[in-house]
Amino acid sequence: MIDVQNLSKSYSGFRAVQNLNFKVDRGEIVGFLGPNGAGKSTTMKILSGYLPPTDGQVKVAGFDVVSESLEVRRRIGYMPENVPLYNDMRVNEFLRFRAKLKQVPGSRIKERLEAVKQLCALQDVDRKIIGTLSKGYRQRVALADALVHDPDLLILDEPTIGLDPHQIRAVRELIKDLGKKHTILLSTHILSEVEMTCNRVLIINRGRIEASDTPANLTKLVRGGGSLRVEVKADAKDAAAKLSAVADVEDVEVLLEKDWLQLRVFAKPGIDVRDGVYAVIKREGWDLRELARERATLEEAFVELTQD
Amino acid sequence: MAFWTLYRREAGSYFVSPIAYVVFFATALGVGAYFNFIFNYFNDYGIRQLTVLQASVNTFFFWLTLMVQIPVLTMRSFSEEFKLGTIEMLLTAPVREWEVVLAKFFGAFSFFITLWIPLFFNLLLLTAFSNPHVPLLWRPTLNTALLIVLVGAFYISIGIFTSVLTKNQIIAAILSFALIFLSFSMSFVSYLKVTAQTQNLLSYFSAIEQMDTYSKGIFDSRPVVFYLSGTVFLLLLTQRFLEARRLKS
Ligand SMILES: Nc1ncnc2c1ncn2[C@@H]1O[C@H](COP(=O)(O)OP(=O)(O)O)[C@@H](O)[C@H]1O
Ligand SMILES: [Mg+2]
Repeated sequence: MIDVQNLSKSYSGFRAVQNLNFKVDRGEIVGFLGPNGAGKSTTMKILSGYLPPTDGQVKVAGFDVVSESLEVRRRIGYMPENVPLYNDMRVNEFLRFRAKLKQVPGSRIKERLEAVKQLCALQDVDRKIIGTLSKGYRQRVALADALVHDPDLLILDEPTIGLDPHQIRAVRELIKDLGKKHTILLSTHILSEVEMTCNRVLIINRGRIEASDTPANLTKLVRGGGSLRVEVKADAKDAAAKLSAVADVEDVEVLLEKDWLQLRVFAKPGIDVRDGVYAVIKREGWDLRELARERATLEEAFVELTQD
Repeated sequence: MAFWTLYRREAGSYFVSPIAYVVFFATALGVGAYFNFIFNYFNDYGIRQLTVLQASVNTFFFWLTLMVQIPVLTMRSFSEEFKLGTIEMLLTAPVREWEVVLAKFFGAFSFFITLWIPLFFNLLLLTAFSNPHVPLLWRPTLNTALLIVLVGAFYISIGIFTSVLTKNQIIAAILSFALIFLSFSMSFVSYLKVTAQTQNLLSYFSAIEQMDTYSKGIFDSRPVVFYLSGTVFLLLLTQRFLEARRLKS
């Protein structure tokens, strides 16, 4: 659905995106994850035909975004960052205008409008002037606009930014639902978001793609994917040394050294070292009050991949 | 076609905009008051050499009204889209740049025509209710209307062009006022002491002289060519500027 080859983009000399390569297949929900300024919005503006690439080739649904821009634009629903909308229009009026602009046949406009209003829960405000709506509703109007011509591909730039937790949850549910029918590329700098909604993550940093995998695989990448959290009564140095000696343990990190000692034990990928660790504790006679497995989070993967 | 959808939105946006209403009432009031003043003045002093319409449109007041109202009408057209970021949404829909430019132009143009209806309405009132009866002179009236429409189209294209250059409406307005004034000030050159030849050439561009001719009921094709080609040229330029964003690297 999306095929990006060697994409670079410079803003008057400043390289915002460098040599990007990635593909998105039909039916995928792909999360574009990266810190602010990483180049997410820039890439999305190029994909939607708003900005020209400086270098490289970008195809959407088999059409080139520069030479066949009109064909590309017919097939995507794009929701820009910060949802710019005409503040003087009413919701109904705006959606009708956008539907006509996107060449929805006259006979289907009514039905499409009802459908997107239902989907985005806009029925209560459809006669209101957009300028008077709250941020959450504006976001939904923009989403309804992106959906109104039933596009194959949805490009959503930070769809949950500026929303309260309830609204974020609602939008995420909606995106998951939409993913059953549409291909979606969404950007975010919030990790839990991709973890919850996407089946693939592209991590982008400083204009380059650092990783591309499922959220689960990415977390596995990080220090083998798991660790043990141990809380014992023991001397920190002694405990760290003895636990490090256990077979297949890669590293021991002291988290807190007080009355009780908190440790994190990292094992080699895919190996369970709980038995070995417990054996040491028993042998040494340390008091034990916690021994728990911890899954690495995507957050750690992200920090690891995007740090210098 | 996207043009009609865009045009309806553009024209519609004028009719819900408070600024547009202010411009409308200011124009209607100014033109009406001036019209009334001239009519009474002509009556009191028995002036017969000029028509009221001639006296209304061959004044600096008339030109100033045009030169101020048009930048105010057109300044938002692209600048506001840039400022709000709605241009991104607009141009990622399957529309062509020329459709957007034409829609903005004709949207402003339609409202501009609405602005000048009161002047001709005054003439109709005059014909209908005057005693002794003042006839409506069709030729001068239609010619005058034609020139207002032509000059308006040209000035609007200047306004649309300057608003594609900046996201600041005020800068767009000042810039278009400056350019419109520059184009208008060619009229003044004929007052300078220049050779008859130069004067002849410059009078071709002189809005004041054109209006003098037209309001007498004399048709001249040169202003038609000048203003129409100027309008087309500026609109093409606007389209190029808008397209550059998508095509240049
Ligand atoms: N119009 C622009 N002109 C110059 N620099 C820009 C422009 N837009 C974005 N940038 C720069 O390009 C980089 C990437 O920006 P962006 O794509 O918006 O990042 P993200 O969406 O990931 O936060 C940033 O460093 C930003 O400052
Ligand atoms: Mg961004």
